[in-house]
Amino acid sequence: MSEDRSQRFDALFTAYGRDIVAYCGWRASSPTDAQDAAADVFLTAWRRLDSVPEGDAARVWLYATARRVLANQRRSRRRHVALQERLAAEPTAAAPEPDPEAALVHEALLRLGARDREVLLLAEWEGLTPAQIGAVVGCLAVTARGRLHRARRRFRAVFDELGPEGRVSRDRPLLAKEGPEHA
Amino acid sequence: MPESIDALHRANPRAEAGFAATIDAVGAEVRLRIAAAGARDEPRVRHVRPRRRILGLSAAGVALLAAAAVAVFLTVDSSGVTPGVENAAAAIKKAATLTAASAERSGTVQVRITHGGQLWASKVIRWNGNDVEINDLSRKPSAGSPLLVVNGLLYGHDPQHEGWVQLGPVSNIDPGSGTTPTEQLDAIREDVGGATLRRMVAAMSASGLTTEDRSDGSTVYSGTVAAGQIARETGFKEGQTIRVFPFGYVAHGAAANAASLLDTAVTVAAGGVIRKLAVTWGTWTYTVTYSSLGSTPRIAAPEHATSLLKERMRAVHER
Repeated sequence: MSEDRSQRFDALFTAYGRDIVAYCGWRASSPTDAQDAAADVFLTAWRRLDSVPEGDAARVWLYATARRVLANQRRSRRRHVALQERLAAEPTAAAPEPDPEAALVHEALLRLGARDREVLLLAEWEGLTPAQIGAVVGCLAVTARGRLHRARRRFRAVFDELGPEGRVSRDRPLLAKEGPEHA
Repeated sequence: MPESIDALHRANPRAEAGFAATIDAVGAEVRLRIAAAGARDEPRVRHVRPRRRILGLSAAGVALLAAAAVAVFLTVDSSGVTPGVENAAAAIKKAATLTAASAERSGTVQVRITHGGQLWASKVIRWNGNDVEINDLSRKPSAGSPLLVVNGLLYGHDPQHEGWVQLGPVSNIDPGSGTTPTEQLDAIREDVGGATLRRMVAAMSASGLTTEDRSDGSTVYSGTVAAGQIARETGFKEGQTIRVFPFGYVAHGAAANAASLLDTAVTVAAGGVIRKLAVTWGTWTYTVTYSSLGSTPRIAAPEHATSLLKERMRAVHER
């Protein structure tokens, strides 16, 4: 384990740990799953450090890796949750009160298709360009640009339609609604 | 910029309270996983004893490599931490790795929850290879207890039958539910020495540790851990978040609040394996006691078990 390797990995986590934790936070089914996924992403980066590109391309590489890790996690989680609930004894805790505006945003996001939501949040929350979004989700930059344009338009429409009286469902993860995607 | 997009920016999870702490927790978890992975990813170590090849390395080799890897990465975030705490953190992380390796083939855990000193719930879980036995020792044991999975067949008790009932292949009874032998074992091993224990140990190390050496050679490491690192959120039920302790007990009170800091103590035996885990909140205590890791006997299928499938078929024919 060389010093250079450790230093490079530390620099990678310092520069992009925040981004990957945030991304996993809104894409995973629960906060603990998000932390597990983010840790898996950086473990993968450590193992394949020689394959991680230099500069800002490393950020895109990490997002793309996180996307795959989360997809795998969702598949295995379906089974594990069922087991946990089967073994569980009694439910008790209550969810915290949501911030009204955040809840409204959350509800509007839930009403988007999964693909729209993903490109919108990669742009607006993660600050990725259409070209970078294309690299993460596996499409051309021009396609990503078109999807982003439509996603923004749809989000605005849903947000305005919901208004301040919009129904609150902050306790559902953004991932929960994986309905039909828009063309 | 439209109001909706402004609102979207303000809802960015980076602005949420606790986000910085989450990054720290992930950082600690990453270093721990790298340490553990470093132990597993070094197949050319010379000190491997053939008897333990099933684990890839001997338990001692795992511990040594994990300690070495942890020592390297401790330099990343140990500013402001005293050398004694660093040593304690390394020792407890090493113990978690060693415990996971020891639990790989077989083991036994007793889980107890007490309230005001009185037993509230308890179960003993034994596993050997792919076979599992779950025995509920609570005052009001859950239906079906004890539960056995041997050679992929599920055995339990049914109020309508005396003795053991063979309920058939686990994978056929509830396909995709997470109750196949492999999935049950995966969950148990994750709780015994895998992700669950490593996450708790990482959180304890980050918050500062106190140590107490006992006369029997064991050491008790004490610290605080956010409840969310112990009782994982598994979903929602009846509009409420469910957090479940390792081995399946639903958290309640302060333990159900992810941000609550719970007093946690980990007892590491003289041999370096974790022997006991204790979490306390208010008048409640949750303990997990490990034993016979790697030496729990084979689990036998019950003799003369009634086949539920055959019983049902006979009942149909008699009508």
